[in-house]
Amino acid sequence: MPEKKSGSHFFDLKIPLGSLLSFYGFILVLYGVFGPRYIYEKSLGLNVNLIWGVLILLIGGLFLGFAHFRRRNSN
Amino acid sequence: MDPIISLKLIDYLILAAYVAITIVVGYALKKYMKTSEDFFLSGRSLPSWITSLAFLSANLGALEVIGMVANSAKYGILTVHFYWIGAIPAMVFLGIFMMPFYYNTKVRSVPEYLKLRYNEATRGLNAFSFAIMTLLMSGISMYAMALIFRMMLGWSLTSSILLSAGVVLIYVFFGGLSSSIYNEVIQFFLIWLGLLPVVYVGLKAVGGFSGLAAKLPDTFLHAWKNMGSAAANPMGVDWMGVVLGLGFVLSFGYWTTDFLVVQRTLASENISAARRTPIMAAFPKMLVPLIVVVPGLIAVAILPEYSVALQGTATPDYNSALILLLAHYLPNGVLGLAITGLLASFMSGMAGNVTAFNTVWTYDIYGTYIKKNMPDEHYLMMGKLATIFGVLFSIGTAYIVQSFPNLMDYMQLIFSFFNAPLFATFLLGMFWKKATPWGGFFGLLSGIVAAAGHYLLYKLNVIHYSSEMAANFFQAWWAWLTDFVVTIVVSFFTRKKAESELKGLVYSLTPRTKGSEMFWHRPEVWGSVALIIMVILNIIFW
Repeated sequence: MPEKKSGSHFFDLKIPLGSLLSFYGFILVLYGVFGPRYIYEKSLGLNVNLIWGVLILLIGGLFLGFAHFRRRNSN
Repeated sequence: MDPIISLKLIDYLILAAYVAITIVVGYALKKYMKTSEDFFLSGRSLPSWITSLAFLSANLGALEVIGMVANSAKYGILTVHFYWIGAIPAMVFLGIFMMPFYYNTKVRSVPEYLKLRYNEATRGLNAFSFAIMTLLMSGISMYAMALIFRMMLGWSLTSSILLSAGVVLIYVFFGGLSSSIYNEVIQFFLIWLGLLPVVYVGLKAVGGFSGLAAKLPDTFLHAWKNMGSAAANPMGVDWMGVVLGLGFVLSFGYWTTDFLVVQRTLASENISAARRTPIMAAFPKMLVPLIVVVPGLIAVAILPEYSVALQGTATPDYNSALILLLAHYLPNGVLGLAITGLLASFMSGMAGNVTAFNTVWTYDIYGTYIKKNMPDEHYLMMGKLATIFGVLFSIGTAYIVQSFPNLMDYMQLIFSFFNAPLFATFLLGMFWKKATPWGGFFGLLSGIVAAAGHYLLYKLNVIHYSSEMAANFFQAWWAWLTDFVVTIVVSFFTRKKAESELKGLVYSLTPRTKGSEMFWHRPEVWGSVALIIMVILNIIFW
């Protein structure tokens, strides 16, 4: 049986997770900026897509940043 | 009936991206699946941040989110009992006291521990009942999902069931438990990011927490104040039912012995990570009421169909409360995100059941009773086949559960038949070395019989409770007590195991691992912090 090194058994989940969230943030920001305005009547006039998109983009970027940092350190 | 929500291209894009990434992740994990332990236990190699979030998410499935928002619209803040007293003490107990037995003995499943501690018969009883229960739960998840998607988007039950089952089948088939766990972590983020906007906008609309409180009756605003008698609160349960039935028996039974959650801790890379898993999960767990209880309260305050129900003149469909709220406040875009969060929680709930099922089936049923001592590749192949069977059985179950109106109550019912007595068997097994193999078996069996008998007496109107939920809580308690007493009594008359066979399985015969870590790394410290925060939360919402 091959010896197991902790944490190195599978690929880093932060990469797909960070990519997915960054993609969501990105398209929500775009939609918030260029999309229709009338849909925000529901959310009391708040452009939730823009605000939330920026936040999700940040979280996604954070995951990708950590993953990148870790990979560089382990090389 | 017209669908409540109409999605646009942006929403479909978000939904499709999620489905695509889960399949990619599942497929990418395929090459790591070399042995059966890789497939069933992620090769025991995952870091604790991943296993903690998966531990939490495995339970934040379809029933949780939809059912708990429904409970909150029905019972108000009382719903927090499912998250605080009904979860935290058990999670801390698992991490501090029970994890060493599960992890250090290298058992691959909960039934396997029962085999080592008691005997083959006890394992068989647990393995078969667990396999059945798991498939029922999986069917419930799918049915809940299909109902929601029909109401929301107008999809037919059959097409939602086949779509979700198909995706889950693909990723579990390739990546096993790892797929399931990775997907649960992704789901954890999606469900929070998807539901927080509706909490924020909804709270803004009602005028913050104080505005919300002003619109609700007093019984909806207190967790304990009205628990003196069952008649005084909307849940129809008194404090004893909550503490004994939910807080002690159901909660400990579920969090410490249900293989669905315990399997996530076994995937940890080492014993410290395994012990940290449930304890670290306790912190986000305490916050979950923010995204489930608060939306339920907002629904009652804002949506006329639920505020009318406060006068007791109508019984609205509580299970649609969350969806109506999403439709009411969220514009397309974040709406698609919320729906994706729900879809993710549906699918990962189902995947969790399927992975727990295929492990117990392969190791404890197939590998024990059907084909023993085959090469490891054979069991890996069986696990993959069991994944297909499990999904097919779930689809069948989904069509059966349609006749039960309140999904959550049904879930509690199933738990109390099988899981509630089990905790007595574990408690005695781990902490009382005189419990004998047959004591364990007959205790467990009589606990299950007691639960079923109690349910029958209640349904035949021989025993009365003020609500269905009270009946479930007390049923769990009596089943536990029966198991506990019968195990002890039978143990006095049957043959004990030799102490040498019980090393590492019973507390008094296991050498203590001395805490070499710094005190802030110790599970005992974090467990205590979690308990203190839980007490404070209960006082705030008294």
